[in-house]
Amino acid sequence: MTASGVTATSRYDAIVVGGGHNGLVCAAYLARQGIRTLVLERRDRVGGAVGTHELMPGVRVPSLAHTVGRFRPSIARELGLRGHRLRLVQPDARVFAPCSDGPAVTLWGDPRRTADDLRAISPRDAERYVAFDAQTRALDGVLARIMSMTPPDPGRASVADALGALRIGLGYRALREPDARALLRVLPMPIADHLDDWFESPSLRAALAWRGVRYSSLGPRDAGTTQMFLAESAGTPDGAAGEAVFARGGPGALAEALASAARGFGAEIQIDAQVVTVRVSDDRVRGVALANGDELDAGVVISALDPKRTLLGLIDPAVLGPQLGWQAGNLRLKGSVSKVDLALDELPAFAGPADGGDARRRLRGRIVIAPSVAAIDRAADAIKAGRLAEHPVLEATIPSLVDPSLVDGDSGVKHVMSILVQGTPYHRREGDWETDRDALGERVLAELESVAPGIGAHVLARRVVTPLDLERDHGLTEGHPLHGEPALDQWFAWRPMLGFASYRLPIDGLYLCGAGAHPGGGVTGWPGRNAAREIVRDIKNRARR
Amino acid sequence: MAQTWDAIVIGGGHNGLVSAAYLARAGMRTLVLERRHVLGGAAVTEEIVPGFRFSVASYVVSLLRPEIIRDLQLPRHGLEILPLDGTFTPLDGDYLWRTNDHAQTVRELRRWSATDAEAYEEYGLLMVEMARFIKPILSMVPVDTIRPDPRDLVPLGGLARTFSTLPRRQQSAFIQLMTMSAADFLDQWFETDPLKATMAASGIIGTFLGVRSPGTAYVLLHHYMGEIDGAFRAWGIPRGGTGGVSESIASAARSLGAEIRTEAPVARISVRDGRATGVVLESGEEISANVVLSSVDAHQTFLRLLEPDTLEPDFQEEVRRYRFRGSSGKVNLALDGLPDFTCLPGSGEHLRGAMSFSPGIDYMEQAYVDAKEGRFSRRPYIDVIIPTLVDPSMAPPGRHVMSCFVQYAPYELADGDWDEQREAFGDAVVDTIVERAPNLRDLIVGRQVLTPLDIERTFALTEGNIFQGELSLEQLFFNRPVPGHARFRTPIRDLWLCGSAVHPGGGIMGAPGRIAALQVLRSRRPAA
Repeated sequence: MTASGVTATSRYDAIVVGGGHNGLVCAAYLARQGIRTLVLERRDRVGGAVGTHELMPGVRVPSLAHTVGRFRPSIARELGLRGHRLRLVQPDARVFAPCSDGPAVTLWGDPRRTADDLRAISPRDAERYVAFDAQTRALDGVLARIMSMTPPDPGRASVADALGALRIGLGYRALREPDARALLRVLPMPIADHLDDWFESPSLRAALAWRGVRYSSLGPRDAGTTQMFLAESAGTPDGAAGEAVFARGGPGALAEALASAARGFGAEIQIDAQVVTVRVSDDRVRGVALANGDELDAGVVISALDPKRTLLGLIDPAVLGPQLGWQAGNLRLKGSVSKVDLALDELPAFAGPADGGDARRRLRGRIVIAPSVAAIDRAADAIKAGRLAEHPVLEATIPSLVDPSLVDGDSGVKHVMSILVQGTPYHRREGDWETDRDALGERVLAELESVAPGIGAHVLARRVVTPLDLERDHGLTEGHPLHGEPALDQWFAWRPMLGFASYRLPIDGLYLCGAGAHPGGGVTGWPGRNAAREIVRDIKNRARR
Repeated sequence: MAQTWDAIVIGGGHNGLVSAAYLARAGMRTLVLERRHVLGGAAVTEEIVPGFRFSVASYVVSLLRPEIIRDLQLPRHGLEILPLDGTFTPLDGDYLWRTNDHAQTVRELRRWSATDAEAYEEYGLLMVEMARFIKPILSMVPVDTIRPDPRDLVPLGGLARTFSTLPRRQQSAFIQLMTMSAADFLDQWFETDPLKATMAASGIIGTFLGVRSPGTAYVLLHHYMGEIDGAFRAWGIPRGGTGGVSESIASAARSLGAEIRTEAPVARISVRDGRATGVVLESGEEISANVVLSSVDAHQTFLRLLEPDTLEPDFQEEVRRYRFRGSSGKVNLALDGLPDFTCLPGSGEHLRGAMSFSPGIDYMEQAYVDAKEGRFSRRPYIDVIIPTLVDPSMAPPGRHVMSCFVQYAPYELADGDWDEQREAFGDAVVDTIVERAPNLRDLIVGRQVLTPLDIERTFALTEGNIFQGELSLEQLFFNRPVPGHARFRTPIRDLWLCGSAVHPGGGIMGAPGRIAALQVLRSRRPAA
């Protein structure tokens, strides 16, 4: 019937569109249940935003995401990723925040060690940091429960049921009363205010605040950013300092392990296979059509793409209808992140900490260049106004410090630096990303120079990935790495939109399993895992009928 | 001094007066103590320039609860609200003018964008539904999230049931209204920049937030919630200024038996064995009462009027965390004639409504960025009305008063202080208006500039916040003013809060005053 010879007899129960990490997680869980699953990936490799890129011969960098510490340990265990050669490295230093005109802040995995360090900056903050870390962990515990559940539908079920489910999910009652009250107060709060309630040191506040706004177009004074800050460490054992975990061989190693595990359970994975349409008839999913004209049948289609691309790009508008089309068109995916990678002939020297071996240790986690909360806010103002921030906020890693295998000694390169840049809106009032690629690279280097003087002289190679590149290369609509703003209006029971937070999209048999679904973006595997749970339930129910 | 009152209400603002009236109506001997020589708090009319009477601070009324108007029979006590028709947004060489005549507004919008004109109708219908749905919240007692009182859960459950019967589209819109920024919410519907900016402006009034800040969309509903004589969507100005509202409530309270004393500033709330027993005035006079209600803000009540050792340190810390962040100022002008707008000359109907200086979203956001940097907006958002066109009694014949509400004016300035920047701030406001109405400058015969510092000093509003505390998401409902203490009660027995510091917050609503009084009465009902 088709060029590839697939006949009307369906070979697959389920087709996953997109081989990013969530698509692979979902496929692995489905295959593990004996569901015949096929993953279709448009690019020539799996992993999506979780990948390793060859910057120059023998020198490798993370293609987008550079740490993998939020990946669910339970998923790694259940899928047996260790058996698929996944090795993780976690340095003690989590965040190093240098400052051009003051002391640097280091957040360590051990909060007491952080407090010891902070004493030189502010004895009061040092005192409070341990309590802040404890409260963060308590609230993270509740959030992790929420994140692992399928959101209730407050619109359809009786709200009493939904609230009951919510209360169980919340584990709210397990909290001490002050933490329980704090949770409901701080979730919608601006992260700037939350930190203001705890700390006096501007540099400590900045070293924490950026995680409340990362990869979004929100500023630290915007409501809901405390929720984002907490979600960033929910489900990890890392508390206020956040994670910094590297996959040996680069993030691509995680994608390869997932693909290998999925195959091990019986899933098939096809690369260079771009899905152009989800085929629907009689209000039911029938399969997919590929760019090469092939048609594949399956009763279940799961999209790991972002919800806007899924609903507006893969579904016939007549099937979707005008109301949903309008809603999908209004999904907020205004990307603001870009990336710069550097190959360096020596380790950059940062102003701030004492030199020597200790300085090197501090650089092993995430290096954050955001001098103050106000500076983070100004970068967000630029995003909101549609212009390139004068001083973008940088989140860098030097993965070669923890994983020397990334750099081949013969290349002359000693280290690679992977820099996520915030303050670079996809939608711009003036100029465009085609012409401003180099300007972006220069601006990022100028920011780096302010805290690591002389770094520019050591750059042997540079790669600039603009928001437009993210859209083109990774299929991220409007360059949004989280498949949609993580703000309060696209959250929990209304992510991606109210009525479709249970991973089921408006067409029978169509599901969403990517970062655009609850609990959102980041290398967690959570959406893929949660979606698989619902899909398996539906398939079993249908078989029973 | 021998007598003990049943109840003392601290502060004769509109909420304090509403509380007093309800308590007196239930037979409690009630005394109101007002610090100033005039009643009304921020809802006050004063003659600042001889012959010209101003609604000095608060200047329009729309959310005054209809049940209060009914229960206290306010029209019999002189309350009359005159309609304010339309919103006029002057622009360079053009204008955007929406009026209460829906058909005319749609025609005007069509001049800008056919799709916006169409969307405007649909939007209006949706918002009316939303307003109808949300309104019961304004009369609710916030539920305690740890130990809920079943009596408070009933209305909340009712609301939840209503929600589940709404069409999907309305459910979605409701969630968006509660969580989105005004600009993002409106972006879904409209493309005309001055329309979006002028509508979004309502979301930032009185807050230290920008039109692109999440949490500002909710206030869009307020415009559709306003009821005057049961009519949806109308805003109005009280005859005699906003002081007229306060005077009518005071008159109702007196007729129900309450006593009201002005120039009686309270220095301290007396506490014995963990319960409030009365107050001490600044004059040294001691007055005892069984119940004390404070209509002043939480900061003043807990940190100024109480001895520090009467409250737990943890609670005091929570009170200190409660955010005020005054962001607005007011410029009141006495005029010798009417302003003449370049974009629409003459003294037509457009002057009879609100005139909004909000030409675009970027303009509004830049005004906010100025405030975040610790300076007043160089080109501010201004909401102007000329009350004398509706109520000529406010000024001598042929002359006018002009009320200019201004944002942003941050309480905390990065450089200098408000006493030295007051006139420069006033100039920035006048200059912004003069750009669009050049004859204004020569019409001004008197000017009053109120900075956030002046608002704090004059009206005892901490940091000049007109709502007695930011109306941000984390300071609403069961978190207002302090999590665990949002039910009008305080940690001190027999001390209650009844002002805008408690649910449902600020504006000339009277709702906090009414619900607080009803809660006091409920608590005093003998146990069965």
